[in-house]
Amino acid sequence: MMDDFFFSLLLAGISVGAVYALIALGLNLTFWTTKTMNFGQGSLMMLCAMLTVFLSSQGLAMALAVIGSLLVVAAFGVFIERWTVRPALQASGGSMGWVVSTLGFGIFLQGVAAKYFGSQAVAFPDVVFTAQDFVTVFGQYVSLQYLVVLAVAVALILALELFVRKTVWGQAVHAVSLDPELALVQGIPVRLLVLGSFMLSSALAGVAGVLIAQIGGTVDPAFGFDLVLLGFVAAVLGGMGSSMGALAGGLLVGILSKLVGGYVSTAAEHGIAFALLMLALALRPQGLFGRPEVSKA
Amino acid sequence: MNRLRALLSALVADWRLQALLVLALLLGAPQLSPGTVQIASFVLIAAIFAQSINLLTGLAGQISLGHAGFFGIGAYCTGVLVKTHGLDVTIGVPLAVLLAGVAGWLLSFPAKRVRDVYLAMMTLGFGMVFFEVVREWNSVTGGTMGLPGVPSAALRTLTILGIKVDGLAYFQLLLLITAATMLAVRNLTQSRIGRAFYAIHISEIAAGSIGIPAGATKQWAYALSGGLAGLAGALYAHLVGYLGPESFALPRSIEVLVIAIVGGLGSIAGQVLSATLFTFLPERLQVFAEWQFIAYGLILTFSLMLLPKGIGGLLFEAPRFIRPGARARAGALHADAAMLRPADQGAALEAERITMRFGGLVAVDDVSLRLEPGRITALVGPNGSGKSTLVNVITGIYRPSAGQVRFAGRDITGLADHQVAAAGVVRTFQDPRLVPHFTVRENLLLGAHRQLRHSGVAAVLALPSATAEEASQLALVEAVLALADLTAVADRPIDTLPYGTRRMAEVGRALLARPRVILLDEPAAGLSEPEMERLTQLIRDMKAMGLAILLIDHHMDFLADLVDDVVVLDSGRMIYRGDIAGMRGDAQVIAAYLGDEAAHA
Repeated sequence: MMDDFFFSLLLAGISVGAVYALIALGLNLTFWTTKTMNFGQGSLMMLCAMLTVFLSSQGLAMALAVIGSLLVVAAFGVFIERWTVRPALQASGGSMGWVVSTLGFGIFLQGVAAKYFGSQAVAFPDVVFTAQDFVTVFGQYVSLQYLVVLAVAVALILALELFVRKTVWGQAVHAVSLDPELALVQGIPVRLLVLGSFMLSSALAGVAGVLIAQIGGTVDPAFGFDLVLLGFVAAVLGGMGSSMGALAGGLLVGILSKLVGGYVSTAAEHGIAFALLMLALALRPQGLFGRPEVSKA
Repeated sequence: MNRLRALLSALVADWRLQALLVLALLLGAPQLSPGTVQIASFVLIAAIFAQSINLLTGLAGQISLGHAGFFGIGAYCTGVLVKTHGLDVTIGVPLAVLLAGVAGWLLSFPAKRVRDVYLAMMTLGFGMVFFEVVREWNSVTGGTMGLPGVPSAALRTLTILGIKVDGLAYFQLLLLITAATMLAVRNLTQSRIGRAFYAIHISEIAAGSIGIPAGATKQWAYALSGGLAGLAGALYAHLVGYLGPESFALPRSIEVLVIAIVGGLGSIAGQVLSATLFTFLPERLQVFAEWQFIAYGLILTFSLMLLPKGIGGLLFEAPRFIRPGARARAGALHADAAMLRPADQGAALEAERITMRFGGLVAVDDVSLRLEPGRITALVGPNGSGKSTLVNVITGIYRPSAGQVRFAGRDITGLADHQVAAAGVVRTFQDPRLVPHFTVRENLLLGAHRQLRHSGVAAVLALPSATAEEASQLALVEAVLALADLTAVADRPIDTLPYGTRRMAEVGRALLARPRVILLDEPAAGLSEPEMERLTQLIRDMKAMGLAILLIDHHMDFLADLVDDVVVLDSGRMIYRGDIAGMRGDAQVIAAYLGDEAAHA
């Protein structure tokens, strides 16, 4: 007999795990095209959620507020590619300046948000359902918010996987990830793809931010910063670059961290994720679904 | 501007001025207000902390986003040991340094296997987890309430070896420790360790080709950097007397990154200036304190683009990687290039039935090769015929899909590249892979890395034994410079020199790695006529030393009067083996080079 507490933790874990997978997917996207990822991704999650709160408080319809915020965040993705990643990659090949510059921009956004919205947590409005809405499954109360979050996250992951597998653009992304120079001489618009990957990655971060804020109920400027780590752990566990792996990794991280959070201490969530990361790198650095990288000499 | 830089660099490097500065601060400190002395103490701690980033990022090219964790480990370790367990500071602080260093070493354990970005992400996670551990571990760290009452200079509760230490005396002590740290970092930079750090920063593959293991070197960089950060943290603990988790959260990791980057990665003096700036600014400028986080974000975002070398790069010349003392001593020594002759002769390298597949593509197909001491074997073939791939297999960059590489009777198949180099099999690259900011001499001395066997401690303290060993290798470098006709440009940074010179330097560097087998991948490409003659002579010299030589080239005139054997590859398969005269008449070779019709004509 499953007890209620365990079940609710499990459901929460699956739900946030799917969102972690979404974050992982965002990191994967830019990793495919440029072998970089935005270390300040968390601030985009925060910004999107904060903007949604702000816009809806100005009387905008909820759906419009969310879409508007996503557009802003996607635009920031363009800025990040153009002004933090590209110059760093051009500065000197193989240098890791982009780690510093993307993190720096995230910190800047966080600082600005704290300045203009204040550093207090604000309540996040209910987008579709309220925290009190639930259905009963096998005699268990299941929060509808959790279900919606899960459904949105999984739907997006599947859509992206289909996009990459079935469309010309997806094939082009694949080509760029294998050999950008070869892709360029074959006439693939690499620049456009890179830009697109950052836009999409940022938008995914935005969606993840809104979903997590929906579950948590509040959002503050420091929100999201740690979520990059959880997303990265999900990506590494599943195998960097693999979408299905990201989903599996995200669910693993989500469930384990919620269970440990529930039975031991909520402060241990990051510790668990970090331990999983260490373990994965020690035992299987290529992840559950990844293949070992072959580096070109 | 360049002259000003040279002047400033000379001033900063002058030990008399360094001593004078330290002395002036020691004697002048009593004239300052206690508040100023306190801030000055924070400056010194920030300077040591920034050096830890300088070492990790500036030298070894690794990035840490969680250095507050190491800083915190140092602070809490000595704080707990001294306050709770009553140990003396002279035990607490060294143990704190050790613990933080071990943490750095453990954290970087996957360095051998994963991309650098994984390590950066792990440091970010490490910083977060450390913060949470400190906050939750009430019984040891005091949790969110913090750990008050650590014996400290500010509270006038600090005694070291029974002597009471007040704020002023602690500042003076910090000053001496900071000066010693700067000297140690400088010595390290100008030693085999500093050069190896910088080599993996630039190119792990090139470093591996001369026997520098990338993974282990990165781990050492993390350990040393962690230890230095731990030192800064431990000193901080005994300055302030209260440790709360908030002092060791992300903002501190960010702050030290900002200080180190603005100071200029690679510049020791720049770090001190930057530490001074960023410690005084928030103290004196209320506006700055208010906008601090936003400012730090902007600095990190744009400084590498706008001012990539920081204050240090603006004011001072690039750091050098050879101790002046070692150079002076080398001048008195004389070495003969004949000393490069391998001690144990007579070992052949055998590659047997090597096959290398990449997915469905067979790059090398069942090729065997034997390299004898004192013989030059040419490996020729059209582009894409698998020549470089074969060299990559032999030197451990690729593990072959099938086949075996044996050297001196030992199976070296699948060894890591640095292990193959250590066994005496050294290669050069099709595109010269030197350290661009190193001078020609520094690049060549890098090649002798494996010959330098003094300990890290000897290197950091610049002990006479270490200097003597460097000097004797430098004398050999001098001999090779003469042999390769590079003496005139020895002190020029390699990226300011023409292509042909770089090629010669790379061959020279490989020679200094004391190979028994040397594999030269198109060494003559892009050389002028006189340079080509030099190279020919150098290769003859190597042959006379008894080296087994593999020479990849297209230049038939260059090869004709040089080589003993020729192996021809086409589409990964060996189509000819024998002497060069026979090759010219071989129908298959002609077909491969000129097409089938030419062969039938």
